[in-house]
Amino acid sequence: MADDKKSLALGLRRRDPELLDALIEQYQYRLFRYLVYITGNRERAEDFFQETWIRVLERGHQYDGKSKFEAWLFSIARHLVIDWQRQKKAQSLDALTNPDEGAPMEFADDDPSPLHLVLTQESEETVQASLEKLPAIYREVLLLRFQEELGLVEIATVLSAPLSTVKSRLYRGLEDLRACLAGEAA
Amino acid sequence: MSQELHARAEQLIAQERIEGISITDQRWLQQHLAECASCAARAGATEQAIRSLRGLSVALPPALASRTQFRVRMRAQQLRGEPRWRLVWAACGISWAFGAATAPYVWRGLEWAGHRMGVPNIIWELGFGLWWALPAAVVAVILLMENAGRSSEADWKRQEN
Repeated sequence: MADDKKSLALGLRRRDPELLDALIEQYQYRLFRYLVYITGNRERAEDFFQETWIRVLERGHQYDGKSKFEAWLFSIARHLVIDWQRQKKAQSLDALTNPDEGAPMEFADDDPSPLHLVLTQESEETVQASLEKLPAIYREVLLLRFQEELGLVEIATVLSAPLSTVKSRLYRGLEDLRACLAGEAA
Repeated sequence: MSQELHARAEQLIAQERIEGISITDQRWLQQHLAECASCAARAGATEQAIRSLRGLSVALPPALASRTQFRVRMRAQQLRGEPRWRLVWAACGISWAFGAATAPYVWRGLEWAGHRMGVPNIIWELGFGLWWALPAAVVAVILLMENAGRSSEADWKRQEN
């Protein structure tokens, strides 16, 4: 496994086109899903998806070959979204990422029900509705923990946030999701 | 049953799924859930929320991967086309330091050789000037060769398409 990561880091350093093609194929679903969750918008997620891989090409030498590749990939995607959000709203990063001290990070703000549009028909309506009610920061950690199965430390790396913040968001997000699904006020 | 026990159970239900809990806590929780219907319902609802979340899927846009691969390859080609300025500057710096350190010896060596061969002073002095210009000339030739190679590669690709 460690050798895999090291050879991956070497390939990224060399900007190996075959390797990048394979990585795009391999991670397309997971990266796109993550971007949909944090942007709440399909078109925007597509744009960020492509930008993320351009960044991977340009900054491949920064991947250390020790951490999980997906954690590094998600953190690149996340930074792109935050940069875009910051330019758009000219807010500070703290305000965007710390919901307890201000407005929660909510990337989707100009579409009626964007997340609903991108989730497939098979998904349960109630789950979709409950997720839409959750702020993006909670959706994000729930996705990383329960869909991506990332560890808490890896999530903290993706978020560039302290472990305690990750935990509190997970507890709050899970509680809100459970309450929403149970029909209680979130 | 006291409120404290319910609060502890609620905490452990979430903690078990988020961070994991010790075996002792697991045993206590199992026992509590067996006796408390409301906490058992809460545990079930939490489990159901996680299961629902895992069951959600997102439809991928058509040809997203191939479009991205194309863009990445284009960008990679662009990056390859950019001159390696860092390398050029490093080569210049090293050759300058080397030239400065060896200048007195080269001057004396050329002077000695010039006198031995009986060539006019201007000739070996010109040779000294060339010694200084040589590294820059080598770098220029390398860059020119690289550019020529790249443009012929691009022509070849154009013909292939």
